[in-house]
Amino acid sequence: MSQSIVINGKTYPIDVDEDMPLLWFLRDHLALTGTKYGCGSGLCGACTVHVNGQAVRSCVTPIKTLRNQKITTIEGLSNNGDHPLQKAWLENKVPQCGYCQAGQIMNAASLLAENPMPSDDEIETAMQGNICRCGTYQRIKKAISDAAITLKKEA
Amino acid sequence: MNTNKISRRNFLKNTSIAAGGLFVSVVIPASPLVEKGIIEAKASDTSLNAFIHIADNGDTTIYCGRCEMGQGISTALPAAVADEMEADWQRVKVKQGDADEKYGPQGTGGSASIRIMYQPMREAGAKAKAMLIAAAAKVWKTSPENCIAQSHFVINQLNQQKLGYGELASIAANMPIPEQVTLKNKSEFNYIGKNLPRHDQSEVVVGKRIYGVDVKIPNLKYAAIIHCPVLGGKLKSLDKSEALKRKGVLAVVEIPRFDVPFGSIGGVAVVATNTWIAQQAAKQLKIAWDLGKNANYDTQEYKKQLVNNVEHAGVVTAERGNIKQAFNEAKHIVKATYTGGHLSHAPIEPNASVVWVQPHRCEVWASTQSPVDIQNVLGQYLKRDPKEIIVHVAMAGGAFGRKYKCDYVHEAAVISEKTGFPIQLIWSREEDMRTGYYHSINAQHIEASMDEQGNVTGWLHRAAFPSISTLFNPSLVRPTARNLDDINNHLFGIENFRCESGEAKAHTRIGWYRAVYAIFYGFAFGTFADELAHKANKDTFTFLNQIFDNNHNLQQQSDVQRAKKVLATVAESSAWFDRDKLPQGQGIGLAVHYSFQSFVAMAVHVEVKGDDIRVLNVDCAIDCGQVLNTDGATAQMEGAVVMGMSLALSTEITFREGAVVNSNFHNYPVLRINAMPNVNVHIVHSDFSPTGLGEPGVAPFAPALSNAVYAASKKRYRDLPFKPLAV
Repeated sequence: MSQSIVINGKTYPIDVDEDMPLLWFLRDHLALTGTKYGCGSGLCGACTVHVNGQAVRSCVTPIKTLRNQKITTIEGLSNNGDHPLQKAWLENKVPQCGYCQAGQIMNAASLLAENPMPSDDEIETAMQGNICRCGTYQRIKKAISDAAITLKKEA
Repeated sequence: MNTNKISRRNFLKNTSIAAGGLFVSVVIPASPLVEKGIIEAKASDTSLNAFIHIADNGDTTIYCGRCEMGQGISTALPAAVADEMEADWQRVKVKQGDADEKYGPQGTGGSASIRIMYQPMREAGAKAKAMLIAAAAKVWKTSPENCIAQSHFVINQLNQQKLGYGELASIAANMPIPEQVTLKNKSEFNYIGKNLPRHDQSEVVVGKRIYGVDVKIPNLKYAAIIHCPVLGGKLKSLDKSEALKRKGVLAVVEIPRFDVPFGSIGGVAVVATNTWIAQQAAKQLKIAWDLGKNANYDTQEYKKQLVNNVEHAGVVTAERGNIKQAFNEAKHIVKATYTGGHLSHAPIEPNASVVWVQPHRCEVWASTQSPVDIQNVLGQYLKRDPKEIIVHVAMAGGAFGRKYKCDYVHEAAVISEKTGFPIQLIWSREEDMRTGYYHSINAQHIEASMDEQGNVTGWLHRAAFPSISTLFNPSLVRPTARNLDDINNHLFGIENFRCESGEAKAHTRIGWYRAVYAIFYGFAFGTFADELAHKANKDTFTFLNQIFDNNHNLQQQSDVQRAKKVLATVAESSAWFDRDKLPQGQGIGLAVHYSFQSFVAMAVHVEVKGDDIRVLNVDCAIDCGQVLNTDGATAQMEGAVVMGMSLALSTEITFREGAVVNSNFHNYPVLRINAMPNVNVHIVHSDFSPTGLGEPGVAPFAPALSNAVYAASKKRYRDLPFKPLAV
């Protein structure tokens, strides 16, 4: 029986070598290129997606560990690009090259789901695995704090 | 990706050369006014200029010929065009121009885009406005003087009639292109100097922005590459049997070294049905290399040689006054030696491109800083006219100088040519780090003489580093006089001066890295000035003002005043003047540096506990003339602080036995968010013509940090990075 995986609410058959990391299944087989390759070793965070709501590094997560799991990528984080983090990212004009930002946003979304009102220290600790070589860290911190406040108001 | 549906013939049909060598031309569809019979149809296609396309519904596309890599140029320059043509920015879409001389120079580096393109692109906008006004005047049978343009409309001031840009476009395109136009005054700007968001950020946050690494075309095959680890080496033997057995592997391709600037260093590639299979199979290749003449390159040893070279006499490249006499009459003589290591740009998007070589067509989609170099290198390799190579410029996921060199595109072309497939080649992070073009390893030695009042009377400056010029002239054995110009032209006022070049052969590929030589010139000048100030028993702010005031070169007076202004700005906005009240273990360091025709000063506030350095706050002031986008300028400085911190504290590429030891971000530790200080950017009001900001912010950080750490702990760091990781 063929195995399947649920990505952004759609079910896909797993028709590849199951040792393949999720990253390359997303990018090369489904053309969901919002999730980025940066290091291939779980060191930079550019490939961050959610597995059942938890941030994981898709470049080191073999697809065989994800049978019947629910995956969310940046393309599926919100319906209209209106997740409070996405809005806060625009409001704070965070992106420079923008390449790492999908991973940053996915990691931050996982943080806020667990800790709706993180302190600055908690933001720094949670976001340490996500490198931004352009240096947008100051704005990332501010955007996460802003989104936390928005979420609290909406709750 | 950016496909251009407008034919080349149409583009060229109605062109003229504007000031700055820009071609202007655009195709616009038939005007609705023609359809409505309001005016007579004349031509089936029409033109305004190369940068501007206006559709009949008024939707406007502005092309950016300079390459975007995160520095915001594709917002800043098109916004200046929109400003001059009185377009409504909400109606404007920005598109990246393909490689084409009609856009003017496209090689994007040296913080030059705004400096060289601001004026011609504004003129393109102003000419478009004049043509739209002329078109409206024709429709209304009135004089253009009676018409004004405003927010995508032309208005007849006599009767308040309005016509939209979409209605006017095709008529405008048949109007003569004006030879001269008057540009707007600063007070009339709608977008220039304002705080516009980047045009593409809403695509970024939903993962829809397409980078070079994301390009997909039909029948695409994926490649991974293993390079010869040493410059000048070549393949000795290859066993590809295991790799070829792997399911999904289509081919293994040898890529010989291509000895032209920006050609491949040589390697072996695997082609497969996806990138992962290609990368896995590449690890199964059994390759033996003949490492060649650089097989013994060892950076630890090499750096010692450079230090030795600058601590002994070199080749004099510039001299003024009488340095010997100055030293003989000195009250104080101070000497210091500074060093720095190789750096890898390490943009998070590794080198990537798609290339499809066919018998009579070659098409490229690449993250690149220089599409014209792609045309030239592929043209040389394929023995075709460079202009026939079609290059679509993709958004680069960071570049920092790396993607000016198109070796990775050349490699994709070789693979495509040999297999017949359209190929996407993505370098692994390890290959990016190990076979790049590195910032020069370097050493500088300075000796200065001072009189009793703390005036610097003499300055001997020796520098040794493998020069970028070795890419083009491998026989060079030391920095050229031109490489050292920024030492000779430094704004410090020193009457008796000598500059010497020390021997430094290149053993790897050397390339521009954000801020280039200003990284180590800024470090040496900025740190040594602080050391001199302490020797003269003066505070660094006073000392720096004094050494600037001692500059009596009439041609540099305006530059000196601008440097002093940014310095004063950071001293006043930071805790500099209250530094005596800082807690034990804290300190503030100042540095100011002029590079790429812009002025940047920083005040860095640190806390030092034992060996631990924590940067708390950075005040940064810039004078880059007229600022095009205040938010973009601010972002560039924030980013420069982060890159400056990485190279000041932790990043260094180490070679042993000819090859790079570092491999990924665990042993090339770029700055992470937990070390991020608070950064305050101050834009100094300036009416000078605009200059670039991509690079100048990097230079003053490391010296300001060294000076801050010294203020906090009396420990002096003279070697970059301060805390190298043992690899």
